[in-house]
Amino acid sequence: MDGFLIVVWAVRLLFLGLIYLFLARVIAALLRDLRAAAREPGDRPGRLVVLASPGGEPPAGQSFGLDVITALGRDVNNAIVIDDPFASAEHAVLTYRGRSWYLEDLGSTNGSYVNGRRVEGVSPVGFGDELQIGQVRMRLERAATR
Amino acid sequence: MPRVIGPIRPRPRWVELRLLLLVAAALAVGSISLNATVNGEFRLYDAQGILIYVAGLLVAHLAQVLAGRRTDQILLPTAGMLGGISLLLMERLPQDLVTQSFFGTTLSLAEVQLLWLLIALGIATTLGIVVRSDSWLRRYKYTWAAAGVALLLLTFVFGTEVNGQRLTLDLGPISGQPSELLKVILVVFLAGYLSENRALLVEQDTRVGPLRLPPLPYLAPMVVMWAIALGIVVIQRDLGAALLFFGVFLAMLYVATGRFSLVVIGLILFVLGSALMATLFATIRTRVDIWLDPFSDPLGSGFQVVQALHAFARGGLLGVGLGAGLPEIGGRPPIPAVHTDFPLAALGEELGLLGVVAILGLFLVVVERGMRIGAAAADDFRSLLAVGLALVIGIQAFTIAAGNLKVLPLTGVTLPFISYGGSSLLANAVIIGLLLALSDKGVEPPPPPRVGSSRRWFGRGAAR
Repeated sequence: MDGFLIVVWAVRLLFLGLIYLFLARVIAALLRDLRAAAREPGDRPGRLVVLASPGGEPPAGQSFGLDVITALGRDVNNAIVIDDPFASAEHAVLTYRGRSWYLEDLGSTNGSYVNGRRVEGVSPVGFGDELQIGQVRMRLERAATR
Repeated sequence: MPRVIGPIRPRPRWVELRLLLLVAAALAVGSISLNATVNGEFRLYDAQGILIYVAGLLVAHLAQVLAGRRTDQILLPTAGMLGGISLLLMERLPQDLVTQSFFGTTLSLAEVQLLWLLIALGIATTLGIVVRSDSWLRRYKYTWAAAGVALLLLTFVFGTEVNGQRLTLDLGPISGQPSELLKVILVVFLAGYLSENRALLVEQDTRVGPLRLPPLPYLAPMVVMWAIALGIVVIQRDLGAALLFFGVFLAMLYVATGRFSLVVIGLILFVLGSALMATLFATIRTRVDIWLDPFSDPLGSGFQVVQALHAFARGGLLGVGLGAGLPEIGGRPPIPAVHTDFPLAALGEELGLLGVVAILGLFLVVVERGMRIGAAAADDFRSLLAVGLALVIGIQAFTIAAGNLKVLPLTGVTLPFISYGGSSLLANAVIIGLLLALSDKGVEPPPPPRVGSSRRWFGRGAAR
């Protein structure tokens, strides 16, 4: 086998090797990204961001991390206390079941709304949907992953 | 609500730069390897083309650095690597496969491909920098769907037939295949439709025997989709596009609802449809026959597939090296349509099993990025959009790779980023650009509330 052919083969294998080096680097970057995402305290299934709150409690802009079951209402025993004259003491419950969010109205006086539509019984909610309890408007969002 | 964008500050993208330099090194070595085999010289083969392409990648990188958005840094180098491999392949194929005249100058295969690659880079980078809001996609989903259907009808009526398939639309000097762009429009529409109705698809049940289905009215779009896919097959004879559209639809439906029963129903519909088509149309039956046994007519209908299988076999584990494959027999490439439908077979011959696996790995990386961008997105629409866009590339790459390898019947879709062809490159550039824009972790305008998203199906269309 003459030297030229050996060099040609070396160059060919170097090309393949460089493609694989590229792939390895990319996969390393992907793994770093995944580990960083896993380290974040992102085990909460979602968050609720207050958009408007005439009463000031909760203040607009505040973000609540949600549990699998989150109670909302005027009573201080609720996970999210909505101090609004139009909210009932035990107003509604937000639950995460399976892969989906549900809002259940607990027979409140003034009702709960999803995207401006009154909830009768249990209503499914998606990320990006707007909830209204009393005069307080909130948006359901995915928990920030970074 | 107009957003005030603060002063634009450059933001370094070291990961991207490092990966791009690796791409440049790999392409340079590939080019030298090609030249050593063809001419016996250890210099760059068509140095000008490779240098222009690498310069294009670096300009795209620099533009993103200057724009200072915190977008994904892996997509561009990965797509850039695939595009570079495409450029090497096109330089190495007989240059007179395609010649195109633009305003007096005649460009050959590699030159045309380089031009399209640069335009694609420009589009992807521009979209990745400029797109800061998705409302133009989200809000006008029915408009987009209508535009897509109009595009399809235009092709039906004014399209020119190539190889018995009516896919090409001629616009003056350039011709395009609208079905490539249609797949992007389809994903945009599906993302909008499914994110709006996701809750209802998940929630309610209609029981049919052992299967739990969503309310029947919500299955209507599925049936419509199926009918459209069949229509594409019947009128356009475009098996690949039909398979791609229906596959993407099923995958997005599954992502949106998490219901396996829907996928099962879809697959049953698909099998029924395929059986129906195969009994009705001779061309499709021929495709299936070729797939089952290409060697029964190795010089006639099975020629393409048989040649591709031989190419893979010649390649073996390491390949015969770039430029050392059988370039032409009697002035013609041994595999018909090697530059559009069978680039993987050519690469399989010259780079071997290792090369093919690496290329499939690169596609997998693109899909993974799409999934991650989707998982981190702020709401359902963006999630579904990102996942759907990535799946388009993944499913398309799988369909044609499987066709080349005789795993599935051959369908004439392109291998994303690698096949020759402007429409394909542009559509995939749009996908990469949108994925880049969706991955931004910095500026993220909250989506507008979707008022009345839980309205009943018969009320749809009245609102907004």
